[in-house]
Amino acid sequence: MSVRLPRIVDEVVSRPTWPGTLPRPMEPRNIGVDYDTAWTRKPWARALRRVLVDNVTRPFVAVVATPQVFGREHLDPLEGPVIFAANHSSHLDTSIVVACLPERFRRRTVVAAAADYFFDRPWKAALWSLALGTIPMERNKVSRKGADLAASLLTERWNVVIFPEGGRTRDGWGQEFRGGAAYLAKRCDVPVVPVHLRGVRPVFPRGSSTLRRGKVEVRFGDPLRPGQKVASGKEEDARHFAGRIEGAVALLADEAESDWWSARRRAAAGETPAFRGPDASAWRRAWALPASARRTRSVRSKSSAKPW
Amino acid sequence: MKALLVERLVHRFAAARVAALVAGSGSGIGIGPLRLSEIEQPSLPGPSWHRVAPLLSGICGSDLATLDGESSRFFEDIVTFPFVPGHEIVGVVLDGPETGRRVVVEPVLSCVVRGIEPLCPSCAAGRTGACERIAFGGIRPGLQTGYCADTGGGWSDELVVHEAQLHLVPDTMSDEAAVMVEPAACGIHAALAGQVVPGERVVVLGAGTLGLCTLAALRCHTLPSTLLAVAKYKVQRHFAAEFGADDVVAPSELGRAVRRMTGTLALARTGAAIDRLAGGADAVFDCVGSSRSIAEALEVVRPGGRIVLVGMPGVVRVDLAPLWQREVALCGAYAYGTESVPEGPRRTFALAFELVEMVSLERLVSAHYPLERYEEAVHHAANAGRRGSVKVVFDLRHEDPAWRRAAQVAAPKRRVPRDDKKLETSA
Amino acid sequence: MSPRPGFVLEVDRSTPPTLFWHGEGFRFEQLPEGSRVVYPPESLDGLADPDAAIRHALEHPVGDSAPLSALLKPEMRLTIAFDDVSLPLPPMRRPDMRQRVVEAVLDAAAAAGVDDVVLIAALALHRRMTDNELRHALGDRVFDAFAPHGLLLQHDAEDPAALVHLGLTEQGEDVEINRRAAESDLLVYVNINLSAMDGGHKSVATGLASYRSLKHHHNVRTLQHSRSLMDRHHSEMHSSNWRMGRLIKNAGVKIFQIESTLNLDMFPSQFSFLQKREWEWSLADRAGFHSTRLALDHTPPRLARQIFQSMLSPYAPTSVQAGEVEAVHDLTLENLHRQQLVAVEGQTDILTMGLPYLSPYNVNSIMNPILVACLGLGYFFNLYRGRPLVREGGVCIISHPTPWAFNPVHHPSYIDFFEQVLADTTDMFEIEKRYEQQFATDPWYIHLYRTSYAYHGVHPLYMWYWCAHALDYLGGVIIVGGDRAAVRRMGFKPASTLADALEMAEDIVGRGPSITHLHAPPLLVADVS
Repeated sequence: MSVRLPRIVDEVVSRPTWPGTLPRPMEPRNIGVDYDTAWTRKPWARALRRVLVDNVTRPFVAVVATPQVFGREHLDPLEGPVIFAANHSSHLDTSIVVACLPERFRRRTVVAAAADYFFDRPWKAALWSLALGTIPMERNKVSRKGADLAASLLTERWNVVIFPEGGRTRDGWGQEFRGGAAYLAKRCDVPVVPVHLRGVRPVFPRGSSTLRRGKVEVRFGDPLRPGQKVASGKEEDARHFAGRIEGAVALLADEAESDWWSARRRAAAGETPAFRGPDASAWRRAWALPASARRTRSVRSKSSAKPW
Repeated sequence: MKALLVERLVHRFAAARVAALVAGSGSGIGIGPLRLSEIEQPSLPGPSWHRVAPLLSGICGSDLATLDGESSRFFEDIVTFPFVPGHEIVGVVLDGPETGRRVVVEPVLSCVVRGIEPLCPSCAAGRTGACERIAFGGIRPGLQTGYCADTGGGWSDELVVHEAQLHLVPDTMSDEAAVMVEPAACGIHAALAGQVVPGERVVVLGAGTLGLCTLAALRCHTLPSTLLAVAKYKVQRHFAAEFGADDVVAPSELGRAVRRMTGTLALARTGAAIDRLAGGADAVFDCVGSSRSIAEALEVVRPGGRIVLVGMPGVVRVDLAPLWQREVALCGAYAYGTESVPEGPRRTFALAFELVEMVSLERLVSAHYPLERYEEAVHHAANAGRRGSVKVVFDLRHEDPAWRRAAQVAAPKRRVPRDDKKLETSA
Repeated sequence: MSPRPGFVLEVDRSTPPTLFWHGEGFRFEQLPEGSRVVYPPESLDGLADPDAAIRHALEHPVGDSAPLSALLKPEMRLTIAFDDVSLPLPPMRRPDMRQRVVEAVLDAAAAAGVDDVVLIAALALHRRMTDNELRHALGDRVFDAFAPHGLLLQHDAEDPAALVHLGLTEQGEDVEINRRAAESDLLVYVNINLSAMDGGHKSVATGLASYRSLKHHHNVRTLQHSRSLMDRHHSEMHSSNWRMGRLIKNAGVKIFQIESTLNLDMFPSQFSFLQKREWEWSLADRAGFHSTRLALDHTPPRLARQIFQSMLSPYAPTSVQAGEVEAVHDLTLENLHRQQLVAVEGQTDILTMGLPYLSPYNVNSIMNPILVACLGLGYFFNLYRGRPLVREGGVCIISHPTPWAFNPVHHPSYIDFFEQVLADTTDMFEIEKRYEQQFATDPWYIHLYRTSYAYHGVHPLYMWYWCAHALDYLGGVIIVGGDRAAVRRMGFKPASTLADALEMAEDIVGRGPSITHLHAPPLLVADVS
């Protein structure tokens, strides 16, 4: 039995239908990569975010991931704006990086986050962009929209956190660094700080829906500046710079698994372990993973109760 | 004369209904619409009519539904109150040329019986069960003897029967066998209505009198490759196997048994039981007629299969989505008429006489009661399976009033009923 | 104190009541004076460093085989097959022995740079393992490295594309096994040998075979002549497997067999009384036993089942051997017998046994009546070498609740077998003739076996055949404390108490019978002279 609203109420509440004889213009979408995050950088939103980050995000990260931060001294001489380029293995990375940045950076930082995960619904877009200062970044399609926004924010002296791999790792090994961070750094002439996160995958791996407490290490490396001269004498391109950033993160990864000195020596000898893992079959790549990147958890399978 | 009479007393029907719902079928008999009365003998409606004194008169599932107040309101216009129930009748003719002969009554009150000329299309085609004139003609409305105020019924000392309704009983046939002719005819009609093609896999739901008769008829008149019977009680399982079921299973095993029989795939969402078969049986005969049995039939019939409703349904609540999606044919099978069998068209009752003899259906008659103990009888009939019985009948042979002796019945020597001796010898 | 061997106790008037297993519970029975009780040996000490022992075995193989590292080449196809969820019983605490061995093999393969490696659960016609079960058996590291890439397979005996027919043995038996295993450059089979029945050529010839191949030794005639299943030299079933195994070898399939034996430390410490002799029970044991028994009496069966099924055994490995199949298996049997063999003098009229909650086929499931029969008459009855514990025409008394209950996910065809076939006949030859084909080829059972977690359609028949030797040999079977309808359905006699059962047995074996109780588990093999 349906209850009909009084006509007057109905006419007010329901949207009138569009005449079929008229063409209907596309309405602007405010979702996904098109989501307008400008409001989250207004003073009131920043104040609210400050409260949220200090009272929710950081305690949460401290409990779940117990992050240990190394190399914060590399940030001291920097004034900003800065691009932070980190490896990416979990949706938790965003929160951890934000939680571990020194305060003066943290207060003025945006995080480039996957538009299709953090911005796929209006409430999620609002929540994450308010709570973590995320800005939408397309990772599948090539779109200038995200890059333009990041560039304009950099010129407004905002720091930007970018995960240049363009997505979380599937097997625990690193993926190729794409050129986005390098391009932005060149375009706005800002330094790039390599960041390595170790041990996040066991806490909240891709495809999981539950958290497991673990210990995470965050390493900041020496800032890199674009514009190094290459062999031909010309200035390096974004692609080359991206390679340098990846190398810097790989060095941090090696340091995380061994120690600073031996990592340096291996780097000098060109023997830094491959960031993207051994070039071998899937099982050998998995077998060679360091324990900190293994996905050790039993997925609660309902299979024993369900026949199919 | 003595008769059990059903009167149109709405409050009594309602009371019986409530009692049946609360305490089970047959419990409301004491407060229901049926009572034992002394009434006038029915008068002969016309020249072709005869007086018949019942010997045995069965209690049918449809009678029970009426007494429980559960009959569909559909029947309101095709019965006349007050009526004497009882349509499974073997009796003795009291007048006319066949005086003293035993007869079985074919209860349908069709055009011929009602003196209607010309016959309605159904009757003209021999399908007397589907007569379109059951509320018209020389007698008052009533689909069968036992539902019409003008004819009387089997649960009494005497009724009137049109000569077209009479089927002479051979002397070699016992009263118990003869009283099974009417249900056997129903079973044959249902079995043939299913149009079972040789090699098909067939399920019969329910193994009461009608289910067993249908099963026996399917075995005799069709050639299914597998015949699966679903029986709730031990006595039913025994008879189902006797009458030719290849496999007899409990209701809870139905889904699995049909899956096994057909080798089909199945879905089992919960993991507990089989929820839905991908295929199923070619034909399902529902001899129960409840919401649940129709739903079960829909669960185990294959796409494009047939369901024959043999047991009398009332107002049921069934999900018909599978009927629609699987293009299942759902048809009824009521009463009898003329059947087309390989040797040509034959009266269902003629086939029924043969079937009764062939499989000794008299074995199903498990208990006899005098009219006076009708409450016990109806309660027994309603709980037949649980009490290890199948067919319960009223035995009027010991009534022996003066007018019957005067008719000088020349009936053959009859066997003493076997199962309920102590009941009867005392009467 | 070094572990004591098993022995036979003669019951006298001072002997305390004997512990009988009774499904998810226990009975405490006073056996008649003069009865004998066969006790298993005490558990041997496990290997001090199992991982080192495994590495040593891989590099020092027995028989005609090179060390594993010498067999591994970067470009090769390597397949590692392992025993399924039916072993060991109860499931072992982590790390499972399979995990230790498979990790050692994979370390060697990684060191040799072998890219093409596939793991296969050797299920035969058993149900597929769930992800959690695989994870438990192989460990997280192996599971996470292989499962996500589709390299952790479960043998599918109904996938024609995944099977290869290798030929016929000299007795005309089809040998059809897993194609990937057969076409690999090296097949490593990782066994856990809980009983003498497991391992040897049976590993590959049964574990990776199809119905077409299995029916040559899983049939009534063969199993009637497997006397016993625990003694491979007198078991037709094993002879057939050995013929097949040799054919597989001659067909060019290179097998590197790794077998390991476990000690008898089967139950966690809170159930330590299960591994002790009743007169040696400490106060804690007595308290533990009686409180457990009382508690179980008042526990709903479902919950009791869950409690027992979640029990993990502290097993420790006693030996690991690797190399050529037959040489390895001989060594394995030696090690098994060192732990399990008990000398028994002479046979008995009545053999009593208490069956536990678990058989190889109901891990994380319900022990249905067919599995009760199979465990009692197929396994426990066969725990002998030489002659059966009970004389020909004797009686076997089994204590188990035998509930009329089935797990519809794991055992769908068991329900049909019980409802339809056993209601019709219990005669094995009859069943084999009339029903085996139907159950083996029913598309629904095949579908469930391949995609769900169901035992193959023909499996309940095999379980019934497993009793062939016992039913052919015994004069009667009585089940104490079982569901009467279920027991009768199988053609056995139900009894409410052991005393009643002994009275009933006297009708068959005569007055004043000799009685022997098999005090297992822990497992033992009676060496009957």
